[in-house]
Amino acid sequence: MVDITVSAGKNCVVGQFRAMASPCEILLETQDVSLCRQLTQLAAAEAERIEQKYSRYRSNSVLSQLNHNAGSWQTLDPETLQLFAFADSCYQLSDGLFDISSGILRRIWQFDGSAKLATQSQIDALLPKLGWQQVTRDNNRILLPVGMELDLGGIAKEYAVDKVLQLLNQQFAETDVPSLVVNFGGDMRCSRPRLDGSLWRIGIENPTLADQAISAVGISNGALATSGDSRRFLLKDGVRYSHILNPKTGWPVSNAPRSVTVAAPNCLLAGMLATTALLHGTEAEDFLQAQKLQYWLVH
Amino acid sequence: MQLKQLANISAALAAASCAVLGQPAEAGTLLDDWQFNSAILLYNETDRVSAGEGILTARGDFGDDKYLNLGLVVDALTGASATGAVGQPYVQSFTRPSGRGSYDVAPGVTPLDDTFHDTRVQLDASWEQPLAPDWRVSGGGHLSKEYDYLSMGLNGSLARDFNQKNTTVSLALGYSHDTISPEGGIAAAFAPMLLRSNFADDNSYQAAFDATRDRADDTKDTLDVLLGLTQVINRDWLMQFNYSFSLADGYMTDPFKLVSVINANGEVQQNLFENRPDQRTKHSLYWQNKLHLRGSYLDASYRYMWDDWELTSHTADLKWRLPMSDSWYVEPQFRYYQQSAAEFYQPFMFETEPLPQFASADYRIGKMNTYTLGAKFGTKLAQGNELSFRIALYQQNPQNDGFTAPGVLADIDLYEKVTAVMAQISYSF
Repeated sequence: MVDITVSAGKNCVVGQFRAMASPCEILLETQDVSLCRQLTQLAAAEAERIEQKYSRYRSNSVLSQLNHNAGSWQTLDPETLQLFAFADSCYQLSDGLFDISSGILRRIWQFDGSAKLATQSQIDALLPKLGWQQVTRDNNRILLPVGMELDLGGIAKEYAVDKVLQLLNQQFAETDVPSLVVNFGGDMRCSRPRLDGSLWRIGIENPTLADQAISAVGISNGALATSGDSRRFLLKDGVRYSHILNPKTGWPVSNAPRSVTVAAPNCLLAGMLATTALLHGTEAEDFLQAQKLQYWLVH
Repeated sequence: MQLKQLANISAALAAASCAVLGQPAEAGTLLDDWQFNSAILLYNETDRVSAGEGILTARGDFGDDKYLNLGLVVDALTGASATGAVGQPYVQSFTRPSGRGSYDVAPGVTPLDDTFHDTRVQLDASWEQPLAPDWRVSGGGHLSKEYDYLSMGLNGSLARDFNQKNTTVSLALGYSHDTISPEGGIAAAFAPMLLRSNFADDNSYQAAFDATRDRADDTKDTLDVLLGLTQVINRDWLMQFNYSFSLADGYMTDPFKLVSVINANGEVQQNLFENRPDQRTKHSLYWQNKLHLRGSYLDASYRYMWDDWELTSHTADLKWRLPMSDSWYVEPQFRYYQQSAAEFYQPFMFETEPLPQFASADYRIGKMNTYTLGAKFGTKLAQGNELSFRIALYQQNPQNDGFTAPGVLADIDLYEKVTAVMAQISYSF
């Protein structure tokens, strides 16, 4: 069991736990501590299930097994198939910018605040092992070329937020769902507006934002997700290299905003759009404007 | 400077994300969700009108909060309704409003016209959709046809949500154009009801009858405006306020209603066709509360209506839905209604007095109170379908608005109570 704590706040009850390397919270408008505890336990179990299945840090995860068995056809369960279908849509719609096979670039780019840039020859050596278009899918099977790796880091946490909210909603009759928020490290989704009419005000974890410009955002419905370079960057000759890597060039995206927050009907969509916005670098804001959704930028 | 158009990918991604989450895609759904309501209503007044009504409504969900609402109502009325004439201690003869045929009314009995029968078909359609974030619009129309009546109308509404959709302000407009073409034409104001027995032959009767009719049909135009405010007070309490305004212009006289002209002894000398003003401005204020109380639902409302006919009314309505078991509920209802008489209402006219500009003896615009006592029993069936039965008693109590009944009328019940029973079966699927 995951450790959870539940406490009563002024305008809500909060259940907390850690999952997916993030502080996670369940906020419930109804002042009912025992209900909140039950919901938080359900949430923690579901988050753990998803983390166990898709973490690349756990060698027995579905994802690690898949990477381990690259080079041979592998049969996938329906949930994983759906996630890859979504990743495929993201890849196609972002014109190759959002690529779940790009995690491999982390081998040569370590964003530790230093001036240690990867060399072009290192990049050139890795680029052939990158590219979702090289992955073959066939009904419920997938063939990952040898040497390639998939990473659902850009999707799994947002997916978990949506699934947990769905699970919590299912605990109530359709008309009786209370206003609650699932917040996993700043990626969050709300079940319905608060009955007292106020907004949920939730801080977004982003410790490097000195001015704290969007340290707290209001949400009444739908989802918010944030992508940013937080502490992870390289600095050389006065140029700041963000940890957002362009899978086509192998280089960090330059002049991207430091943080992008997007509001969307679900967290998966919000997260994908926030990440893709960063990948557009200087055109991040133009991209966001074209999406016709609310967003917040920090440069 | 290079202008680059970046694509909007959010809609396509929204659909993809919904697929992953096992939710229906939010865009691009077509005509997939239709909800139907059907009902049969039977209404029976003791010794008077009986009516049967069938209702079918459908609501189509076109996705993106867009809905098409369609309605069909068919009703049939038959039986007898009060003519407005007073009863007498002897048999009275009446000519039917069409001028063809006659009927007799027994001593002491309220005169009822027993030729009252009609079938009505009404069609409604409206479309509603969001206009912008927090804004909704709707537009529609209706067409209603009965043997001697045609009504056509258009309506539209605009609603704006505030305060995270906890407050909604709405404006609705309606316009309708009605045409009435009673059999035998429309009687001139205060035209006398002629009796065939007073004429030597059919031709002279018909010529005299035709002279009392001045047109074959007439029309009425009605404009309705409604301003509404809906407020969520808390998760268990919803409140609504409406102000509505209605302006009607045209023929509002009931072509079948009479006013008796009496002498000082209360004896009817003549019956005249009534005449009402051709303009009416109504206002009403409505306050409704819907409350969720420990598993039960209370719906309490009050309406105050006033108009320039000086008719004012108060309506209080209380419904309380109580769960009886997991699947059944019972909903008792009590409704009380009280109205003052229109300024031109009078149960009879004296022959010695000059004709007023307007007069009607129709009890429905006289001083009256009514109450409805009923109960509905409903159950949820599989797939969310719902079946309900409703039975109600509707009592109308016309009252004397300070008129002294002279002579023979003192022993006649001029304000006869009307009791009706309603039964309804509804099925939603």
